[in-house]
Amino acid sequence: MSLNAEIADTGRFTEEQLAKYVIDATKDVFSTMVMMDPADDYPLKDPIHRFQCSITGMVGFAGIYSGVISIHCPVALALQITSSMLGMECEEVNEDLNDAIGEIANMLGGSVKQVLSKGGMDVKLSIPTVISGEDYTVNSLSDLDCVVIPFKVNDTKFLVGLTLKKED
Amino acid sequence: MANILIVDDSSTMRKIISRSLRQAGLTVDEIYEAGDGIEGLSVLASGKPVTLILSDINMPNMDGLEFIRQVRANGNPVPIVMITTEGGEEILKEAIASGASDSIKKPFTPEQLQEKLGALI
Repeated sequence: MSLNAEIADTGRFTEEQLAKYVIDATKDVFSTMVMMDPADDYPLKDPIHRFQCSITGMVGFAGIYSGVISIHCPVALALQITSSMLGMECEEVNEDLNDAIGEIANMLGGSVKQVLSKGGMDVKLSIPTVISGEDYTVNSLSDLDCVVIPFKVNDTKFLVGLTLKKED
Repeated sequence: MANILIVDDSSTMRKIISRSLRQAGLTVDEIYEAGDGIEGLSVLASGKPVTLILSDINMPNMDGLEFIRQVRANGNPVPIVMITTEGGEEILKEAIASGASDSIKKPFTPEQLQEKLGALI
């Protein structure tokens, strides 16, 4: 999977640079707010679009860049994440789970936005969106636009993906 | 001692902020919560004795920047500190120009809360 050629051509970011930003942001958010230390396993060997018993949190960018940052993780791991963030046991898919995963996506979006926009006014972040289900697929309009980082924590894998397009 | 209003659309984040305030050793009397700027204004209008506001910026219905402007337009001088994923210079300058005292970037540690809020509580 490779970064949008238009972004790479600007000379501002390589795919490896953006991957590093995503990895650093994810590790920072997890170590500070989730009290977990995930290990990255970049690059992703094969594209993953289908998720089972999972939850996906997404935040969109709009402005001089458009795109989405997303976190995809199994529900079992999401329950551990939510329990750790809230300091109380979370045992089922509910509003707390959705809110926690959405907030992680929001913090990841904020970190990446800082790289894309120094001033912060020319890129806007959306309110988080969360989807979950027993079997669903998530597709970007083009695989070429994505950088996806696999992580592992508590022996469970999760993914953080970044889709970006430089606007005219 | 302080009565703190936390304005954030994430209930998870409101709980984390509340817990982090305690972990930072900051003494808080009451914590009030609001899910957006409109709810935040309602809490203030209800007469709750709020002595410090911690507000997100990106929220539905009424965002944090408009919330600050409305608080100041109502003549309320209560200190407001932004706790936000937004780290851009311009947007934080706008928050300060609108009446915010300071800002804290998410993610944050209890130590960072202590450093930024210790003098206000």
